[in-house]
Amino acid sequence: MTFDLRTILQSKAALRLRLAAQPIGVKLRLLDELRARAVAIAASRKTAKPSAK
Amino acid sequence: MKIKEVIATINQMQRAGVIERYAIGGAVGATFYLEPVATLDVDIFVAFKTQPGSSLVSPQPIFEYLTQHGATVEGEYLVIAGWPVQFLPPTSPLGEEALAQAAEVDVEGEPTRVFSAEHLAALALQLGRAKDKARLLQFVENGALDADRFQTILTRHGLLEKWRTFGQQFLQP
Repeated sequence: MTFDLRTILQSKAALRLRLAAQPIGVKLRLLDELRARAVAIAASRKTAKPSAK
Repeated sequence: MKIKEVIATINQMQRAGVIERYAIGGAVGATFYLEPVATLDVDIFVAFKTQPGSSLVSPQPIFEYLTQHGATVEGEYLVIAGWPVQFLPPTSPLGEEALAQAAEVDVEGEPTRVFSAEHLAALALQLGRAKDKARLLQFVENGALDADRFQTILTRHGLLEKWRTFGQQFLQP
């Protein structure tokens, strides 16, 4: 692990390229999972009560 | 995989003669070329058939077929295998060309069509919303575009000035 910004950005770019190079079946399964997560987050936002000040 | 179920259902509908040519666009289409990015819906571009006795195009046959085959309606969406799917007509010459020239691909044995990377990028440039610009940047940074083909599309559809502006905003070192 590093806090060097250049290294962090390079590793992010490398991860994106690795993900992009995955077989389409793998990527579409990830989309399924990402959507399920986004729906769950949206639902929790709707039910979350605003905190009292 | 649920998106594969969506594709299989649309293929069945095509075989039943409800639609002719279709292609996947939007964020799901971009996933064929880029890393996956969270999206809530699937955009299917389709040439709508005109109704007998009418010159108007209608999505009604699609709604009727899919609801008879288990889909549910939520506003402008048809929900298939849990995914909200929107059926869209191409609304510009660029969109029509993207549909006509869509690439045939295979998703684990299920054939489908998807807009080419260059057409998806050109459509993102044309639409110009923040999320479209982010997607266009992904295409560029990932080296996912055939530069000659992209340039030809931009020229044909009068998008060179927009591309120059985009380059000045986002691609200058």
